[in-house]
Amino acid sequence: MLLETSSLTKSFGGLVAVDRIDLAIRKGEVRGIIGPNGSGKSTLFNLISGVYRADPGGKVVFDGRDITNADPHRIARLGVARTFQLLRIFGGMSALENLLIGHHGLIRYGTASAILGTRRVRAEERRVRQEMMELLSFIGLADFAEMPAAEMSIGQRRLLALGRAIAMRPKLLMLDEPAAGLSPVNVDKLLETVLALKSRYGLTVVIIEHILKVVMETCETITVLDHGEKIAEGPPAAIKEDHRVIEAYLGKEMDDAEVREFLRAS
Amino acid sequence: MHPIVPWLIGIVVLLPLPLLMPNAYQQYIVNVILINIILAVGLNIVKGFAGQVTVGHIAIAAIGAYSSAVLSTKVGLPFWLALPSAVLIAGAAGAMIGIPSFRLEGAYLALATLGLAESVRIAISATDALGGAIGYQNIPPPFLFGQPLDTHASYYYVVLPLALTAMYFSFSILRSDIGRAFKALREDPLAAAACGVDVRRYKVIAFVVSALYAGCAGSLLAHMSPGFIHPNSYTITEMVTLLLMVVFGGIGHIWGGVIGAILVTIIYDLTRDYYQYQMAMFGGVVVLTVLYMPKGIGGLIDQYLVRRRFNAIRQVKSNAA
Repeated sequence: MLLETSSLTKSFGGLVAVDRIDLAIRKGEVRGIIGPNGSGKSTLFNLISGVYRADPGGKVVFDGRDITNADPHRIARLGVARTFQLLRIFGGMSALENLLIGHHGLIRYGTASAILGTRRVRAEERRVRQEMMELLSFIGLADFAEMPAAEMSIGQRRLLALGRAIAMRPKLLMLDEPAAGLSPVNVDKLLETVLALKSRYGLTVVIIEHILKVVMETCETITVLDHGEKIAEGPPAAIKEDHRVIEAYLGKEMDDAEVREFLRAS
Repeated sequence: MHPIVPWLIGIVVLLPLPLLMPNAYQQYIVNVILINIILAVGLNIVKGFAGQVTVGHIAIAAIGAYSSAVLSTKVGLPFWLALPSAVLIAGAAGAMIGIPSFRLEGAYLALATLGLAESVRIAISATDALGGAIGYQNIPPPFLFGQPLDTHASYYYVVLPLALTAMYFSFSILRSDIGRAFKALREDPLAAAACGVDVRRYKVIAFVVSALYAGCAGSLLAHMSPGFIHPNSYTITEMVTLLLMVVFGGIGHIWGGVIGAILVTIIYDLTRDYYQYQMAMFGGVVVLTVLYMPKGIGGLIDQYLVRRRFNAIRQVKSNAA
């Protein structure tokens, strides 16, 4: 297993946002995590990536290492890259610089040589700039390399956030609603890019998504959360017909006829 | 071409400057400009690039100045050893002033560093061994081959290489991965951490590097003729002037500190007759700059260059069509 969590819990005061989640993600898998608003999906990401501290008893193991409550930058350097729902790209920096920051952990020169501006620093800078330009072309943003990220369109910014995560050369890529706010055509384009990147870099991918089409088409296994708890897990076909999942989304019990009606409509 | 070559050319071109300015006062102003460049470039690193709103920079300069003064008079170190020691002491002080930044941001960090800075100044005025409110006198000038460099023209040859070296270092830091990490933690510390940037480490680096600059500038001011420093040179008023240099020149612009230090020092000197209005004027300029020219003069120059490049591309395309 590349990533394993056991009874991972996070409560804010009386509200239990993530409730004893056990998750096991194989190397090379594409996992979808779905659930209604406020079901704890993003909180789960924040726990894994070290943004939040987990409640005592919970555990996160990545690639054989216990990373529970480690500093976010350490987790990132071990090979966990994530995107944010609100992207959080560096608006005042160019597209190329955004990728270069993603590549930060892999740049090999020390503080002292950077201050002195040694030959080695210049050679390394040339190398990583070229490498990041290649990645920019791969995600189709090469023409915007020098553009401040704040001035790009939402679709371009989503691609850039994805590129910044890829620039980290991660083992695990965690995408938080990568398709939100995109037109259907752009959603397809983004999915293609994600899958192309996955096979090119041999990634394991976890996707949080609201647009069901995205997870149903791309994920091998889907985990469903509701009120912080895991209520279902399995292949898309099984999840589609799971009564608890449909209830969680629609908020009431349904008989089989209603379920069939819902599925036909969706 | 090695990137240090333009700087060497710069030194050579600027070498005869005091000869073109026979007036000692003008030579003095040139030295002050160069020292202010060191101060402002250092402040731009921590504030403009790393985004840490510190008001403690002037206190670090005071620590540099007084350390250098004490080391050269009481310990008897020559200038050439007192300056680097003062720079290192200032660096350590910078690390300390940077610690509140682990937990505080924006205006709160400004208040915390303001408290630290004022305590330093008040502690100096209250310490008789440091000259107290009378000031510290008889700080020796640097000696070279037994000759004192106590005229403004000769001191220029100490200040110029140091100022250009400081600028060279700032350029190489800010254009490297460290400069990018600074900007990332200014833009979004959480996202920076998610990209593997050790936010605390880079905050400390930014504070320490900028403190090294302040310490160097402080020491240079202390040893400049007439070898006298006073706690009143390190008040919040002086800090506002420093901030004005960075904001006016271009906050977060690689040339910002340099442009700002040159212009503000000259304007400051030309308006000296109206000193009672200076602070009101400077405060007004800060507000107007932030409102109408948020990236300062450096930003305006960038804008002009981008537009020119854009027009050139359009020209080429329309010619092709």
